[in-house]
Amino acid sequence: MTERILKSLDITNFRSIRGHIHAPLDAKVVLLHGENGAGKTSVLSAIELALTGKVQSLERADPGYEKQLLYRSATEGSVILQTLCGAQEEGYQAALTADGAQTIHALDKELATFFRERAFLPQSLLGQLLQIYQDAGSEAASPLAQFVGKLLGLDRLDALEAGLKPLVDVRNVRKSVDGWLAAENEKSRVEALLSDHRKNHDALDGEVQLAIDELVRICVSLELPIKVAEDNLEGVAVTLAESADADAFAHLSDQQRRLAAIRREIDTAQNATGEDPNVTAIGADEASKRYALWEAEFGERFATARQRSEGLLVDVSLPSDPSRFADEALERLRSEQKQLGDRVSQARTDIERYAKAQDERDLANRQRETIDEEVGRLSTSAGSLASTLAELTSFIDGEICPVCDRDFEEVDGGPLSEHVHGKVRILSASAERLLTLGRTRSEAQVTIERLDREIEAIGSRKLTDEAIADLDRHLSTAGSVIAELEGLLGALREGTSLRVADVTARRAVTDAQSRHVSLAASRETLSAFAISINADPISEGETFHAAASRMEQMLAASAANLEGRLALRRRGNDHLAVARSAIARREQAKTRISTAAAAWQRAEDALGRAQLLRDQGIAIRNAVDKIRSGIIRREFNDRLNLLWRDLFVRLAPGEPFVPAFRIPAASTHKLQPKLITQHRDGGEVGGTPGAMLSAGNLNTAALTLFTALHLSVPKELPWLILDDPVQSMDDVHIAHFAALLRTLSKEHGRQIMIAVHDRQLFEYLKLELSPAFQDDSLLTLELSRGPRRDSVCVARRFSFKEETALLAAA
Amino acid sequence: MSASPTLLAIQARLRKAGYSDLSTPFKLAGVDFAFTAAMRGRNGRALDLVLLVDTTTGDFGDRDGVRVRQRIEALSRALDVTGSRYVVTVILAGAVLSDGVEVLSETCRVLQVEAVSLDVEGQPVDEAAERQLDDRIRVLLPLKLPVASAEPETGVGPALDQLVGALPADTNKALVDAALAAAEGGEQAVTDAVALIITQSFQLEGEEESS
Repeated sequence: MTERILKSLDITNFRSIRGHIHAPLDAKVVLLHGENGAGKTSVLSAIELALTGKVQSLERADPGYEKQLLYRSATEGSVILQTLCGAQEEGYQAALTADGAQTIHALDKELATFFRERAFLPQSLLGQLLQIYQDAGSEAASPLAQFVGKLLGLDRLDALEAGLKPLVDVRNVRKSVDGWLAAENEKSRVEALLSDHRKNHDALDGEVQLAIDELVRICVSLELPIKVAEDNLEGVAVTLAESADADAFAHLSDQQRRLAAIRREIDTAQNATGEDPNVTAIGADEASKRYALWEAEFGERFATARQRSEGLLVDVSLPSDPSRFADEALERLRSEQKQLGDRVSQARTDIERYAKAQDERDLANRQRETIDEEVGRLSTSAGSLASTLAELTSFIDGEICPVCDRDFEEVDGGPLSEHVHGKVRILSASAERLLTLGRTRSEAQVTIERLDREIEAIGSRKLTDEAIADLDRHLSTAGSVIAELEGLLGALREGTSLRVADVTARRAVTDAQSRHVSLAASRETLSAFAISINADPISEGETFHAAASRMEQMLAASAANLEGRLALRRRGNDHLAVARSAIARREQAKTRISTAAAAWQRAEDALGRAQLLRDQGIAIRNAVDKIRSGIIRREFNDRLNLLWRDLFVRLAPGEPFVPAFRIPAASTHKLQPKLITQHRDGGEVGGTPGAMLSAGNLNTAALTLFTALHLSVPKELPWLILDDPVQSMDDVHIAHFAALLRTLSKEHGRQIMIAVHDRQLFEYLKLELSPAFQDDSLLTLELSRGPRRDSVCVARRFSFKEETALLAAA
Repeated sequence: MSASPTLLAIQARLRKAGYSDLSTPFKLAGVDFAFTAAMRGRNGRALDLVLLVDTTTGDFGDRDGVRVRQRIEALSRALDVTGSRYVVTVILAGAVLSDGVEVLSETCRVLQVEAVSLDVEGQPVDEAAERQLDDRIRVLLPLKLPVASAEPETGVGPALDQLVGALPADTNKALVDAALAAAEGGEQAVTDAVALIITQSFQLEGEEESS
């Protein structure tokens, strides 16, 4: 394949180029030299503008750059680039006006992008390149992703990855797959339907169960020995239809008719025998009823009164006839009551008197003791002493004591005669007192003895308190019984007369009945009939009427019972019908359920199939991710890094750290390479290039990265255009860089165009890049411009010359 | 004269890279230049003149930095005088010379090869040693672009084959085929194709039902 090369460039009034210059470019290496400001960058920008229609580095610096493209004082300009592909020439052109550039013919978009990204390294980009790649995110538009896409041609994988992405989110699936939403809706619709049917089915089931429960209850109350179940409804129907009850009812009706006939016969017989027995019978009935009423009303009270009376009158037997009983009991009770009353009052008096007598005796005792005490204090000889002293008085003369002869005046107590008189008076008073006391004491003694006797007497007959309470109770009971009996007296008398009447009446009835044979026969008939219907035969004293009524009632009860049973059977049949109808409807519901369930299953299956496809789609996408990331990782690690390292080591053989991209092994499809440095000889990982490399080597790293990227991608445009890339590289690097350029040009067929501002470097490159073989070629372009003249571009072409200088030494 | 093993290894490596020996001493502009060894490239590197200096054991004053510089500068002058376009590269093999060598880099390209681990036959002992040697003289060696493992031109064949291989065996074939076929048409085409397949799976059910 013949490659496209740049052939020539015509520039008129573009940026710093004034006037028109023509530059041939058809050589393997084009060296462009000019002092700063001579227009080197303008020449390279002109190539970009012609090929791509814009100048990216300028656009980055100033979005409105287009107005600055025309040389300042010019009115119009143009850029024309000719390329040569084999023998075929192609021209690219842009017209310039004050408003901007008008592209007349440019590369197609893809090649233009390639040119911008991979073939042309503007000076301004060099410093930013590492930063750009270091900041590269994982977005599809990031420079690195673009590089990867271009490098690997992963368009199809990308298309698969992006195209299958909607499968991940079910909302997107609904949007993109037409049938999906419909299928889901169908499924939920069928689900709702199914649930309705099921509910209906359950309701019917309940209905059936209810009817069957009802049937069970009916069968139990009818005592039918049949098992009621859903599968035995026929049996239940047969059992319910049995005619036993109906037959029994018919039989009963017959019996009722026969009873009516018997009653008519009896009536006839009674009419024939006359009124008396009937009346008597009625009278007997009446008397017996009345007595029973009386018995019911007063019997209990009478019995109670009788019992209580007998309790009081222990040893007396009372007659049973109420009236006589009442009379005798009353009499006896009254005497008993009186006796008891006397005893009680006597006992009370005794108790009172007993206490009083005791008090009196105590008093008398105390009096006697007081007297005895006083008597003890008085001398018994006081009386005789007094009389002796009185006799002595007449012998007293003056103050001299006739007994002791001592002068009373010494004592200082009045005259002696006075003293003796006083003494006599006191002694006589004491004697008198003693007499009185003796008399009083004997009185007290008598009283005490009397009281003692009385206390003894009362004590012997005195009753205990309990006995008195008992007497009291008896007394009050007797009173109440008497009152009761007195209240009952009238009733009792009535009872007696009623009893008598009753007995009389019964006797009369029996007499009357036994006198009537025909009635007896009727009675036989009735009795036989009673036995035939399992009733009690006619009892003694029971009238025909009563017996017949009794039987009629019995028959009526039976009839009512049977009627109830028949009604139950009818209700059972009703419920049976209900159950059957519900069962039939339930069957229908079942059919509907199975239809709906089948539809649901179909919908479910369809969705399942679709879901399976969706899952597989997602699986494909995951596989795409995996493979793509594997490829990318391999490309980075095995190819780009190796190439970059090779290039970097060429330019900086003394630098121990080399820059590299590293893709974390754990990273998934997200492309997140990091810029790192590695030690050249080992795998040691250093920091980012910015941290590890000198400024010059950073520049080298950027330049080699650009070159490596260029070499990694398919060679769409074999051009490498570098704008003054060696600003800050030292001489060693320049020598190596020159060697690299030569390698790229001579060994890899790149057309190299490089602008330099340094004269020495220009000369050196001219030497280093000299044609080395027959078809090799080198062009140098020297730009210059003056303040008042148009720009000038001087081109020189070098061709291969056999080297003869070196000779082997002789 | 016995050259050092390192020097011999460098010569061997350069010979492999297409360089040929020059007999020394050689004559330039009527002057004899004596070096331990000299080599010359061919084709694109025909103008490369490589001079080897054995700084450890070499003759001709190789062990003295000043004398090495004098000889190189003299050669350089002679090349200038004759208008030659030869590009001179000096390889200093062995110990680093003390002085005067930095100045050389203004005149010519200077490469320095320090001790490299070599086996008895003078070959690098392992890949690492070989790479170390290569790294030192890499600028003289041809640039080899790593071979792409996949087909980078289209990205179709191997990558997609690999993809098909990576899928579970029970993956629906129609789905895969449709997706892969549509991949060429871009993202939307893939989405549409897959949607169509899934939609068809619903319709498929309808057919089953009716049959």
